[in-house]
Amino acid sequence: MSILRSRTAQATVAAAAVGALALTGCSSGSKDSNKPAGKSQEEAKAQAKPVAMGTAQDSVGPAKPVAGAKKGGTVQVYQEADFSHLDPGQIYVSDAGMLSKLLYRGLTTYTENEKGDQTVVGDLATDPGKSSDGGKTWTFTLKDGIKDQNGHVITSADIRHSIERLYDPFLTDGPTYIQQWLSGAGTKYREAYKGPYKGKHLPKTVLDTPDDKTITFHFLEAHTDVPQALAMAAYSVVPEKTDTKQKYDQSPVATGPYKVASYKSGKSLSLVRNDNWDEKTDPLRHAYVDGWNIEFNHDKADQTKTILADRGDAKNAIMFTGQVDATQLQKITSDKAVMKRTIQGYAPYVWQLNFNMDRVKDKKIRDAISLAMPATSVARADGGAYGGDAATSLMSPTTPGYDAKYDPFNRAKKPNGDIEAAKKLIKEAGAEGKKLVYAYANTPVRTTQANLIINNLEKIGLDIQKKEVDQATWYEQMGKVKNGFDLYMTGWGQDWADGNTVFPPSFDGAQIQDGASNYSHTNDEHVNSELGRIQKIADADQRASEYAKLSKYISEKINPAAPIYYTKVFQIAGSNVGGLRYGQVVSYTDPTTIYLKK
Amino acid sequence: MTSPIEIEGAVTSSALDKEGAPQGDAKEPKKLEGRSPGQLMWRRFKRDKTGIISAFVVLFFFLIAALAPVITKLYGKDPYTFYGQDDPTLLNEFNLPAGPNGGMSPEHWFGIDPNYGRDVLAYLLYGMRTSLGTALLATIGMVFIGIVIGLTAGYFGGKIDYWLGRLIDFMLALPNQLFMVAAMPVIVTVFVAPDEETPTIVRFLAITGVMWLLTWMSLARLIRAVTLSLREREFVEAAKVAGASPWRIIRKELLPNLVTPIIVQGTYLLPSTILSVAFLSFVGVGYQDPTPDWGLMFATAANIYEQDPTYMFFPGVAMVVFVVAFNLLGDSVRDAFDPKTGR
Repeated sequence: MSILRSRTAQATVAAAAVGALALTGCSSGSKDSNKPAGKSQEEAKAQAKPVAMGTAQDSVGPAKPVAGAKKGGTVQVYQEADFSHLDPGQIYVSDAGMLSKLLYRGLTTYTENEKGDQTVVGDLATDPGKSSDGGKTWTFTLKDGIKDQNGHVITSADIRHSIERLYDPFLTDGPTYIQQWLSGAGTKYREAYKGPYKGKHLPKTVLDTPDDKTITFHFLEAHTDVPQALAMAAYSVVPEKTDTKQKYDQSPVATGPYKVASYKSGKSLSLVRNDNWDEKTDPLRHAYVDGWNIEFNHDKADQTKTILADRGDAKNAIMFTGQVDATQLQKITSDKAVMKRTIQGYAPYVWQLNFNMDRVKDKKIRDAISLAMPATSVARADGGAYGGDAATSLMSPTTPGYDAKYDPFNRAKKPNGDIEAAKKLIKEAGAEGKKLVYAYANTPVRTTQANLIINNLEKIGLDIQKKEVDQATWYEQMGKVKNGFDLYMTGWGQDWADGNTVFPPSFDGAQIQDGASNYSHTNDEHVNSELGRIQKIADADQRASEYAKLSKYISEKINPAAPIYYTKVFQIAGSNVGGLRYGQVVSYTDPTTIYLKK
Repeated sequence: MTSPIEIEGAVTSSALDKEGAPQGDAKEPKKLEGRSPGQLMWRRFKRDKTGIISAFVVLFFFLIAALAPVITKLYGKDPYTFYGQDDPTLLNEFNLPAGPNGGMSPEHWFGIDPNYGRDVLAYLLYGMRTSLGTALLATIGMVFIGIVIGLTAGYFGGKIDYWLGRLIDFMLALPNQLFMVAAMPVIVTVFVAPDEETPTIVRFLAITGVMWLLTWMSLARLIRAVTLSLREREFVEAAKVAGASPWRIIRKELLPNLVTPIIVQGTYLLPSTILSVAFLSFVGVGYQDPTPDWGLMFATAANIYEQDPTYMFFPGVAMVVFVVAFNLLGDSVRDAFDPKTGR
């Protein structure tokens, strides 16, 4: 998933010089700049473990209780902006992804233990699916007694409807894994079937419901991570009878422990208990609190300061996708009592500087730029040491197969770029004074990062033309095949812990088209064929090591993108919040284990 | 005939500003020397202590701004080098200056800036140079166009006056700062090829151009009003009767009498223009990093004032001192030209 929301601190307006002078005094600095801060990569290892396949036993509810948990109370959430969608079929962004954990259930889901090891289990289904025909056919059986908020019992027809409606042209924002696997890659699946609203179903040879409890998927090719794909919010169930198409985005029907009580678009959203949810059927969710009150229009600085102050409702507050504001970091990290209220973890995103392979054809130039990258300063510009770590390779520490020792561009010894080596390469390539266009999104963080990077690239003898692009259309403009730029930063994160959701979207040459996420336009025969081969490997560990090998090949032989930094998550909660933990699956505060102490 | 001098000496020893004026008159009969209004103004100005101090402060600012390259050369730092990137120990894990007080040290006298680790003193000098240069050029442009339009409207009157008056009204109706914010990106896009970086000279011209276009009106109105009253005076009538051309009348009869409002208004316009230029950069449509600029320093400082208040100190103090000094200078100049107004 691409990062659609900027992690940028909103530039605060005002503060006239005179007023600020009163505040000006002596400030103490901290000298220990080399002390490692934030989450270490060791701790990201749990996330990088391939997801284990659960059993029918694992899929049985209720979930293991959280020690000391109490029922009752309402949790407060401050969010920067309204969720772009409530319709599960449109959910692909983390904001709504958090919400979907509370509102919706799908065939499968993940559970995680204290160490953060993830297991994919059946949620509505009795187990995470049974495959046959070498992985081409997957069968799920529904649990008994699952009802939606209206008391309607969920049947296999509802599941079929939930999948089929994703083919309808009005649903555009969700992931397309299952649809493509069932009916063809690219946009072919949209041509094969137009959705269930005109009364036609997918043929039984594709999606079959032999009885009320059973649903069978017949994929075009063998797939091993069907349960992981089905655990995405977009594949949650939408009961057929109460599907209101476009209107569903405003008033969805819940199957999870909470339902929407009131939704004021752009202002607030409140959730109350869904009495038809039975904890005995649910292996994941706890639902200790009685309700959730989500308020929008609180920017990062506002969220941080409100929760830090810890008064009134803020005592019961958690962050969904908000982050501790960079300006407050020093204050928070130096206060031990406050640090107890925070959670940290690795977010799955890797920020990389893409080379437009159609324009920057000389590999030596690409290598030189990769070597000269001031990765540490660039990472620190985005929230200090708690915001990110210099990236050594294109694989995130949260992706299975990640190798911390693999460091092709010498980031460990030269945290701010190896200028000498890069200069030599540029000289060899005869590219001194070569003009390259560097595009950046016009937010304060990206502008600072652009200046840091360009400063180094000019040192090695390149002529960099800086172009600013509107943040709102950034991914759209970079996604164009003829975007007209040479260098641009993008961030990509796995959809679940598997290279399958990282490498094919980013480096598959067959995917190059307007709007695709192969931003560097990598099209290498060896990579393309390897991607095809590795995706079919059934064993997750073997797949992980193959992806690690491919990652090395891509960095060394092609080098379509310079790794810059891995992002980290740093969130704070109110003092009355219990069960606070970093959720490996959501990569933010885990909303399913939260309870209130008083 | 010696007594008046003695008396004069006695008076000046205890004289205040106002009694100073007759002093000149007292001398006159003796030397019988004519003084131009300029000389009179200069004498009056020299006696205004605030004015002199302000003038020196302003002069100092212009001097260090103009000599920024020389000073930074002697100081051994330049504003474009990212010292923090070359020496990672200068910045801490939040990319803020690692040393106390914003990283002030014998190496970096005023400290370093966050993220880049640039030298604040060098950056401030160059930033002042950018801001003062831009503002000075914009002000000269404003004064020039104000004189031309004001004189034309005032002297010719009739339809010309009417239409120029409407033009001034129209321009005044444009919301000043909003227009700048909206116009700057458009201007920049129009003049720059899509695959090229916006050259700083384009930004410079765009900023001066927009400022110039939007702030000449008040001066033009003032000049027009003064011209209207001068036009009916006897000496202008006499010149007309003598057959002088309009150009000669404007140049030789009217302009010398307009010097006072022009200089006084000019000294008021400049500091406000400097603030406007800084404002443009502050809201992100003026100069862009890494071009050193005063306004950008405030934009950065406003973001980090809680962690690194020292960063706000030097540009803030410099700006306040400069604007206050310039305004006081403007007051003194006005008083010197026109002692009747008094304070």
